[in-house]
Amino acid sequence: MIYLDNAATTQMFEGGVDIYKKYACQSFFNPSAGYAQSIEIAKELNVARDKILNKLGSSKGNIIFTGGATESNNLAIMGSKRNGKWEYVFSVGEHPSVYNVARELESQGHIVHFVGLQENGQIDYNQLEKVLNSKTRLISVMHSSNETGAINDLRLVDKIRKDKSPQALLHVDGVQAFCKLEYRIDDYNIDLYTISAHKFHGPKGVGALYVRNCASLKNIVFGGGQENGYRSGTENVPGIMSMVYAIENIDVKQNYRRVKELNKKLKEIFSKDENISYVNGNNPYVISFGFAGVNGETLMRALENEGIIVGTGSACSAKKAGNRILENCGLSKDKVKTHIRISFDFNQTIDQIEEAGEIILKTYHNLLEKVK
Amino acid sequence: MRVILLRFGELYLKGHNRNIFENTLIDNIRTMLKGEDFKFEKTFGRYVISNFSQDAESRIVLKLQKVFGLYSLSIATEVDAKEQDILEEVLKIDCRNNTFKVFVKRADKAFPISSMDFAKKLGEEVLNKNEGSSVDLYNPNKTIYVDIRLNKKAYIFSDIIKCQGGLPLGSSGKGLLLLSGGIDSPVAGYLMAKRGMKLEALHFYSYPYTSLLAKEKVITLARKLCEYVGEIKLHIVSFTTVQEEIHKHCREEYMITIMRRIMMRVAEKICDKNDLGAILTGESLGQVASQTMQSMTSTENVLEKKPVFRPCIAMDKEDIMAVAKNIDTYETSILPYEDCCTVFLPKNPIIKPILEKVEHEESFLDIDKLVEGCLGSEEIMRITLN
Repeated sequence: MIYLDNAATTQMFEGGVDIYKKYACQSFFNPSAGYAQSIEIAKELNVARDKILNKLGSSKGNIIFTGGATESNNLAIMGSKRNGKWEYVFSVGEHPSVYNVARELESQGHIVHFVGLQENGQIDYNQLEKVLNSKTRLISVMHSSNETGAINDLRLVDKIRKDKSPQALLHVDGVQAFCKLEYRIDDYNIDLYTISAHKFHGPKGVGALYVRNCASLKNIVFGGGQENGYRSGTENVPGIMSMVYAIENIDVKQNYRRVKELNKKLKEIFSKDENISYVNGNNPYVISFGFAGVNGETLMRALENEGIIVGTGSACSAKKAGNRILENCGLSKDKVKTHIRISFDFNQTIDQIEEAGEIILKTYHNLLEKVK
Repeated sequence: MRVILLRFGELYLKGHNRNIFENTLIDNIRTMLKGEDFKFEKTFGRYVISNFSQDAESRIVLKLQKVFGLYSLSIATEVDAKEQDILEEVLKIDCRNNTFKVFVKRADKAFPISSMDFAKKLGEEVLNKNEGSSVDLYNPNKTIYVDIRLNKKAYIFSDIIKCQGGLPLGSSGKGLLLLSGGIDSPVAGYLMAKRGMKLEALHFYSYPYTSLLAKEKVITLARKLCEYVGEIKLHIVSFTTVQEEIHKHCREEYMITIMRRIMMRVAEKICDKNDLGAILTGESLGQVASQTMQSMTSTENVLEKKPVFRPCIAMDKEDIMAVAKNIDTYETSILPYEDCCTVFLPKNPIIKPILEKVEHEESFLDIDKLVEGCLGSEEIMRITLN
């Protein structure tokens, strides 16, 4: 099997599994309990926070551990909500865990603006500039798209914010960027930043929210007051520790170079066929390919028979977010249906990609023959 | 003693065959209550279930409500058919500040006082005992039923719980349900089972054009039907090659008509092999292009021996949906996985196919080979509740 759906999830590092087991079976103490063993765990959690901050490129700020990206995004948005006539700005390209929270804000009667996308999948910066004003409370823009691989220019977003609404908070969903792209969030003056462990070889069900200044945030769940009151609930210590193991064992720069080569190779193979197109995001980890004449979902299943796993993250069924995003990049409804998402991992080899590329081409042509 | 009193409906009509029907019904009741401790007693015109534990009562009632052939049931108290015993039990029912009536029925005419007189007598006692109560014969808030049976027992209760009605499962043979995954076909299966027909089911899938999830959905639907029919033998058949071949050789607008004709041929072969007497579908007249009178005529034309039963034929979609919700298949049916009918859908399917033209289109296909291919891909699953 060649697994090309790494934007959906990744395989845990074996070392991370060992760490998980250690904190589940030996150092299993509740960090809030107050005896020596638990105080030790609480200290280790704080070291973990520093390691995450360091990887994010932030000299100050706080890390709140959560149950994953959806929870981090909900906390960032709903926790920033304030009474009064504030406005909230989102891109239409956001993941459902942001987009549907925005829709919820809207249904609660708040003023919500959605900013469109350009053909390359990045947000429309001119539109962003137009909707920002002195009443903007929050801008939420993803770092890199899970559908197209487009990377938003966060420096520019920050600049527009400074000019138009310096009071606004900037939330960035960094799920597809963290541990994949090289950056320092301090360079963009980000207030809130979401990460999810299982996208970079950590365990599922654990993530974090970076918060520059906690005064800007209110908790949305109530309970024992863990995480300084911002996220009640006993910390998932084994999950957090194995997430940090993953962070420490990822060489972002080297991996990026490798994946860029894989990405280039696959595009090269597909360039033989003019019926294959792609949305040209600049994150090499994710590409959305269109295979003219076939249904992407059918192709995905036909490929599964050939041992190639690709993503449905894109496109095909009407209810999926991929539709919204690709259509907003200017693709027609019919064209959107032909798309599949391919996402790489740094562990993969050029040989594997060559093999996968050839199988995909062959399967595509077989299918095309049957349905044309 | 607390008992459950069971009534059956249409079995009265069955004359000399009544015993067969009754035995089937009793077997089905026993099967449905498998694992429960209880005593079963047959009295003329009623069944009595007793000796069950208090905490099993509501569970048993729910199960009995799914037995076809039972008309209604009541949770009753059984006493000896003696005036004083009956009166004591009747007076335990709280009628304070309420309107009520007493309804007495004597199957045992040897009981010394007439139904009407006894009802009056009991009513008077209830009236005296319950402060603020009054008799209302036409629209009472509470009815106290006293059912005096031939076994010299009387049953006192105040509620009649409706059951499925219909005929005992198995009393009308066994049919093959075409189960697509949509809303209508599980309803068709349920309705036929209610008329006493046991079910096997046939599902066509078109992997990779349809998702494996569509197949899982059909398994879930079959399992839900098992609540009523116990076990379903599910035949799963790949339809991919058939669709590809029709797509390749026939005119687009005939796709669905030909598909359905091939499905029917496959279904009939499976019926023959498994000794099934009819093909059951969820078709409803005029609902979609393949469900016009002409389409159904053209589809049915390929069948040599088996009838097609379409219990939803005259039902509106809304009514079918209401049954689907009632039998808890609706939420599963509306899951958004394409079933095999939605792949290769023509833009303008033919609404009134003419047989000669359909046959002409089919002449470009090796029908026997396609049918054999389908049968060769058959996978059989025995679906049960657990």
